[in-house]
Amino acid sequence: MSPRPSLSRRRRPALALAAAVTALGLLTACSSAVGDGGSGGSGEPQSGGVLKVGTVTDLVPAAIFTNSNDTINLVIGQVFDSLVDYPIDSLEAEPSLAESWELAEDGTSITLQLRDDVTFHSGRPFTSEDVEFSIRQWADPKWTVQFQRTAAAITEFDTSEEHSITLGFDHPMNNVLDLLDILPIIDSETIDQLEKGEAYVGTGPFTFESWTPQSKLVLDRNDDYWGDTPRLDGVEIDIVPDAQSLVSQLRSGQLDLAQGASNRDIESLAGTGDFDQITFEGSERQTYVGTNVENPALSDPDVRRAIALSVDRDRVVEEVYRGVGYPIALPWPEYSPAYDPEANESLQQDLDEARSLLEGKDLPPLPLEYSTANPNNEAIAQIVQADLKQVGLDVELVPNEQAQQIEKLIGGSFEALWILDHAYAQYTPSSLAVSAYPFNAAKNTSNFLDDQYAAHADAAWKQPDPAGPEAEAAYADLNADLLDNLFLIELSTTFMQAVSKADLEGVSWTKRSELTFGETWLDR
Amino acid sequence: MSTAAVTEVAPAEGVRARRLRWGALAHGQGLVGVVMVALVVVAGLLAPVLAPYDPTQQIPGANLAPPSAAHWLGTDEVNRDILSRVLHGIRIDLVVVFLAVPVGAALGVALGLLSPLHAWADVATQRLLDVLLAFPVLILAITATAAMGPGLRTIAVVIVLAELPIFGRLARTSVLKVRALPYVESARVMGAGETWLLRKHVLPNSLEPLTVQLAVSMSVAVFIEGAMSFLGLGVRPPDPSLGSLIKDGIRNVWEAPFFVVGPLVVVSMLVLGFLLVAQAISAQRRR
Repeated sequence: MSPRPSLSRRRRPALALAAAVTALGLLTACSSAVGDGGSGGSGEPQSGGVLKVGTVTDLVPAAIFTNSNDTINLVIGQVFDSLVDYPIDSLEAEPSLAESWELAEDGTSITLQLRDDVTFHSGRPFTSEDVEFSIRQWADPKWTVQFQRTAAAITEFDTSEEHSITLGFDHPMNNVLDLLDILPIIDSETIDQLEKGEAYVGTGPFTFESWTPQSKLVLDRNDDYWGDTPRLDGVEIDIVPDAQSLVSQLRSGQLDLAQGASNRDIESLAGTGDFDQITFEGSERQTYVGTNVENPALSDPDVRRAIALSVDRDRVVEEVYRGVGYPIALPWPEYSPAYDPEANESLQQDLDEARSLLEGKDLPPLPLEYSTANPNNEAIAQIVQADLKQVGLDVELVPNEQAQQIEKLIGGSFEALWILDHAYAQYTPSSLAVSAYPFNAAKNTSNFLDDQYAAHADAAWKQPDPAGPEAEAAYADLNADLLDNLFLIELSTTFMQAVSKADLEGVSWTKRSELTFGETWLDR
Repeated sequence: MSTAAVTEVAPAEGVRARRLRWGALAHGQGLVGVVMVALVVVAGLLAPVLAPYDPTQQIPGANLAPPSAAHWLGTDEVNRDILSRVLHGIRIDLVVVFLAVPVGAALGVALGLLSPLHAWADVATQRLLDVLLAFPVLILAITATAAMGPGLRTIAVVIVLAELPIFGRLARTSVLKVRALPYVESARVMGAGETWLLRKHVLPNSLEPLTVQLAVSMSVAVFIEGAMSFLGLGVRPPDPSLGSLIKDGIRNVWEAPFFVVGPLVVVSMLVLGFLLVAQAISAQRRR
């Protein structure tokens, strides 16, 4: 098994998490996947038992590769492996199904040496053809994956050797390892079943057994796993659509771990001492207000800037995320080569300036759509609504189901404003600009299509060295584009959280925001 | 007996019946019920005067604050005064109780009174009411929300649709019962028209069960609003309603158990108050 990035869990976030801006320092101090104990168990790793996990969202087969909800991430994280794994505190890829790799200096190809001891859950050996198949699937627009452009830029596949593959690119690109970290290796023989949600066959530590829609998923231990055999007998994922019921089930002992509770509930549970909060440090997510620039009221950059200057970001972080995060104007975490501390401070709340930007503009009430999947969203929506009201902009709140919100995100069909969070700023900066739904310069949720932005995104993407001076210059251009156009108004960087019973040990997570239970055990 | 004689006797009986009916509310459980409902109604009507804050005002620094002199019922998760929201939330329920329920009742009674006049209309109306009755209220609420979106208008429509078949059936039963009574037959033989009979005999004799049902329905309407808003099918944030306040309170019950107390007390008073009124009228009727 490849060394999955993992951190020890901390009981109480204290307000220290506000200092998540110093994530790098914290991360380097992190220990193994083993938690800090504290239960009545022996503290020694134990085998056996079925882990009961609760989430608020159900599996959506058509969106299985979109990284768009917790249940999808749980399935991908347990059932599939990727070729490389990023540690959570850096962009230095580590081996997984690929043992080693070599990138061409001109950034137009990569050769990977693959493990020869890996089999799919069906028993079929894993080969280079599976890598080609998986990349081609991701390049297929039907899956609407965020890395579709990157996958589609891989145009040549040399699979002449079973356990080695060379990928040739259409043009130089510096984010291929991002793709290889995110891309799960898919079994070609069961792709039809995968599309229908009938079977998920991968090479990961757990095998998919069953899915009962709106009810539960069952995963069993993969005894033939190429890495360390998991300690758990299996994982049962219960779908509990109501976040409050989810918390109640955890409190009453029906669940071992819950994902989808509000930060406030997680903080409250951890405060009892009977539960641990798990904070996905290194897997940052950014909360934002999106704007549809095709809406006549939002086509004016001054209006978008007024919105950006109206929102009290500190309040969102402190009151909604309970200090787990920090306010931002640009998406990049501190360790990103695109991080610019000065630019990141450039959108402080300034109601007078916002009012002057809106002066003389007769704007109609605008709908602000948010997902009801997590209570955080409604709280943020109400804060934004109140802030905008102060500058004379009326907003009508529109709650959506999570699946509906994601559909609109992918289709770019929000009427005016929306609240969501995005990922991918934790990767190579170009990945965000050419891949993420809200940012993709070729097609994004805001319907913001701009030649200059597209040119800067392309320039950032095509630099062979993602941390070189040319790339950094391109990132600076991108930052200027983002701040000038504000088609997407960043509010905060935060970290996903889950909460577990104190006797659950060894939970880890990936940079992709997937919890992983390969090293998890129940200390009972 | 002439038609004129019938009309002379009826008002005297009607006045006596009304006195008995309202007399039931002047003492005992009826009085308790009236007082409970009246307190809530007055609080709702005077909300703009009584509420210390605007119900949507977010007060800096008052995040889920416990009850205090400044905030008697504390504040919610986005810093709003819960007392102010409860008082204004009552107004939503008042609209529902005193507008949607009577509209549903009036439509139902009209259907119940008129449909038996024609056999085919009676069959068609009864089947329509069967369909409406077959829908559990929450399913009806989900369907209406899917079609119209969440909001007060949807709540009102759901309550009208929920009450319409109940009052329709009740009125029709009275029509069939009263129309068969000998004195009505006599009036008909003497040339009284159907409309006159409905107005002078059938409706007055149906009023007591309908009044009891009205009080029960008002109680149920408070529950329906609460359930719909609790499930996110009702009033949209940031507007307060008692149901949405209970929902928010339950969400924060571990950290702020005080939150849910205010809206729960008000809902309990309304539901219990209307039920006591209904029981008192019903008990008076049986005497």
